[in-house]
Amino acid sequence: MTTSTRATWPDAESLWSSNDRALEMARAVLGAADAPVGLTPKELIWRKNKARLYRYARPGPATHRTPVFLILPLINRAYILDLRPGASFVEFLVGEGFDVFLIDWGTPGDEDRALDITTLVTRYLPRAVTAIRKATGKDQVTALGYCIGGALATCFAALHPEVTRNLVLLTAPLDFADAGQFGRMTARGIFPVDRLTETFPTVPGQVPDIGSKLLNPIANYMGTYQRLWQKLGDPDFDVQGWQAMYRWVNDSVPFAGAAFRQWIVEFYQENRLARDMLEMDGRPVRLASIRCPVLNIAASRDQIAPRATTSIVTNRVGSRDASEILIEGGHVGIVVGRTASQNLWPRVGAWLSEHD
Amino acid sequence: MSKTEEASHSTDAFEIWRQLYDANERAWSAALEQAMGSREFGESSGKLLETLLAAQKSVRESMRTYLETMNVPTREDIARLGELVVGLEEKVDQLGDRLDGIEEALRAKRAKSAQ
Repeated sequence: MTTSTRATWPDAESLWSSNDRALEMARAVLGAADAPVGLTPKELIWRKNKARLYRYARPGPATHRTPVFLILPLINRAYILDLRPGASFVEFLVGEGFDVFLIDWGTPGDEDRALDITTLVTRYLPRAVTAIRKATGKDQVTALGYCIGGALATCFAALHPEVTRNLVLLTAPLDFADAGQFGRMTARGIFPVDRLTETFPTVPGQVPDIGSKLLNPIANYMGTYQRLWQKLGDPDFDVQGWQAMYRWVNDSVPFAGAAFRQWIVEFYQENRLARDMLEMDGRPVRLASIRCPVLNIAASRDQIAPRATTSIVTNRVGSRDASEILIEGGHVGIVVGRTASQNLWPRVGAWLSEHD
Repeated sequence: MSKTEEASHSTDAFEIWRQLYDANERAWSAALEQAMGSREFGESSGKLLETLLAAQKSVRESMRTYLETMNVPTREDIARLGELVVGLEEKVDQLGDRLDGIEEALRAKRAKSAQ
């Protein structure tokens, strides 16, 4: 073997193949905004302001008694749990015989500047649950919250134990005593939360989005494209799957000003929920008030909701039946990643069946 | 010459970029993580954000003054109208809640008297 230290010019064939791949890459990135997502058939059963409650269509009657109510984060599009056929947690749950409902918070406008988390938990969620109870004739639901949606689901379960049959939390940050890089970025005296919410009635989605991406900037800003470049050479590469995920990652939602302020001040900076100091509409929100079975799911490499922020729930709730599953992966990867359908979804499905 | 060696001496810009990334990703990430984990970084980014917000606020206020002078509704005016609609919807919902409560109480009463 001879080793050349000189740079070799690519021949015409490899040059064109490289150019073709660059064009394919541009096409994949530019076409991502139109990637089909959220395709599982659904019906709108309740609405309030921008929020929409959907019931997913079933081929026949549900084989499980308790409806599953999915509560999504405020800063991301709801289709993350129904990304595309074959990569959809919703599709999996429907297939397993559950009656599945999902609340999509929609896109807040300037008129929602005063919409805070308290209003969402005390005015929106109870009415959505009433709509589910009317639609199904069942008295209780399983509240399943993802990320910030998990914090909302926790507050709801604490305030409404009578209608909460089970509580399932997917990478839900609840204790901010050691909130990692996010905690440092949003610390009191450093993060100008008042000025931000005074300037913007709704905090642009790019603010939390940039914050998330800065947790791992090289992988998020360059790695995405590097991996795409590499995968485009693979004839089995699923470009549409990549586009759906890319679309979701870049499809951020503005955060209603008051909700953002409450999230940063009362949750991150003052850690009121974990310190038993949180009140909503004059009512104390206490983890100990949660008496239903709880399943807490954490991701081993989660930088958005590090394990220290999620693990509190199993020790502090008033339930006798509270367990935790630690899944290998990141904040989003465990929900829609390659292993989600083999690892997370069946484990959640089995737990829900046991606690029906 | 092996494929790897061939690639490593390629002048294809995309391939060079990929190799550069592969070789340095870990080191760059570690260095950035360390830098951004510091309090100094947090303070500096907070100050940057505050400056950008001050500029944004000034642009918004100028625009509002201009639109008011021109007798054109501002963004705030339209948002206020939206707030009234949202408030009205909440009142309708509260009435719905009360009706639900009354219906439930009536049903319970009927069931009790039927026994």
